[in-house]
Amino acid sequence: MPQFDIATFSEQIFWLFVIFAILYFLMSRIALPKVGEVLERRQKTIEDNLGKARALKDETDAAIAKYEAALAEAREAAQADIREASEKAAAEQAKKTDAMVKKLSKKTSDAEKAIADAKADAMTGVAEAASEIAREATDKLIGVKVQAKTADKAVSAIVGE
Amino acid sequence: MAGPLEQFEIKPLAELSVAGIDISFTNSALWMVIAAVLVTGFMTLSMRRGALVPGRWQGSAEVMYEFVANMLKDNVGSAGRKYFPFVFTLFMFVLFGNLLGMIPHSFTFTSHIAVTFAMALVIFLGVTVIGFMRHGTHYLRMFFPEGAPIATAIILIPIEIISYFSRPFSLAIRLFANMTVGHIMLKVIGGFVGLIGILGVLPFALLTGITVLEFGIAALQAYVYTILTCIYLHDAIHMH
Repeated sequence: MPQFDIATFSEQIFWLFVIFAILYFLMSRIALPKVGEVLERRQKTIEDNLGKARALKDETDAAIAKYEAALAEAREAAQADIREASEKAAAEQAKKTDAMVKKLSKKTSDAEKAIADAKADAMTGVAEAASEIAREATDKLIGVKVQAKTADKAVSAIVGE
Repeated sequence: MAGPLEQFEIKPLAELSVAGIDISFTNSALWMVIAAVLVTGFMTLSMRRGALVPGRWQGSAEVMYEFVANMLKDNVGSAGRKYFPFVFTLFMFVLFGNLLGMIPHSFTFTSHIAVTFAMALVIFLGVTVIGFMRHGTHYLRMFFPEGAPIATAIILIPIEIISYFSRPFSLAIRLFANMTVGHIMLKVIGGFVGLIGILGVLPFALLTGITVLEFGIAALQAYVYTILTCIYLHDAIHMH
């Protein structure tokens, strides 16, 4: 087996050490630092970007919170305005209704009074006319002159005041 | 037809010798150079732009980097950081060595015990030196765990010493044996394909399956070689 030919050991080992040493030098001085640097830079870029994204997110969150606060405030103000306006309208409406009710009840009571007056007038008129008729009738029928006062009394007794 | 062992032959491409020691540039050395060039090209050209959003090649290079970095971090912790370039070089060198061996007519330098054992020995010695540098003579406690009854010392210490010193062998032989056996098997089964006529489709189908398996083993053995290195490193830094 060629592997056990001791005569070839020195040449194999010599070139192994030479070539391995050169490769070690190339790797440790040139290739690996470059890879490490690229990986480190990428890591740093990712972290930077993450940091930036986090800052932007915080900013956005703050803006959203501010916007929401403003929105809530505006909503509250609007509701207060609406409440005030509706209260004012209701008060005005109540006042108008009151005035109208008062006016109407006054008109009603006036009208009732007028009716009552008219009725009283009419009743007095009727009674007067009745006693007048009654005196005229007694004079004409039996020739007795009844005094107005007596006739009035009789009429009013009949009418049942 | 070439024998199944011929693929492992070391062929000098340029004869060299220093102080009587043969250091000829061979096919093994050539494929080591190819592996090193490909690893370097892969890890540098792909990262040339250093894009924030990686493309396919850059993404692959980053995956390799993070794969080894996580392996080291999970097994050794942050103390292992300074050994990252070594562990990464080791992983890529073995991985590319194993995978390049899958190219027909190429040479698999990781199928040679000299190579796998030389690397394992460097790892073993390096880890031992790191252990003694961090813990001083206290590192010898590796051979007798804290809290074990003193009476068990007579059994435990020899076992621990044997298991400690068998580390480079298990590391070296595992990789060498996996690569060698896999390649022999491919060669032998490949030889049947032409020999038995139309029935050759059967070994050919088998060969196809085993080729896929061998790619898996190539990657897995590179991983195992590296993760064992990480575990030894962990023991040296944190003890048991």
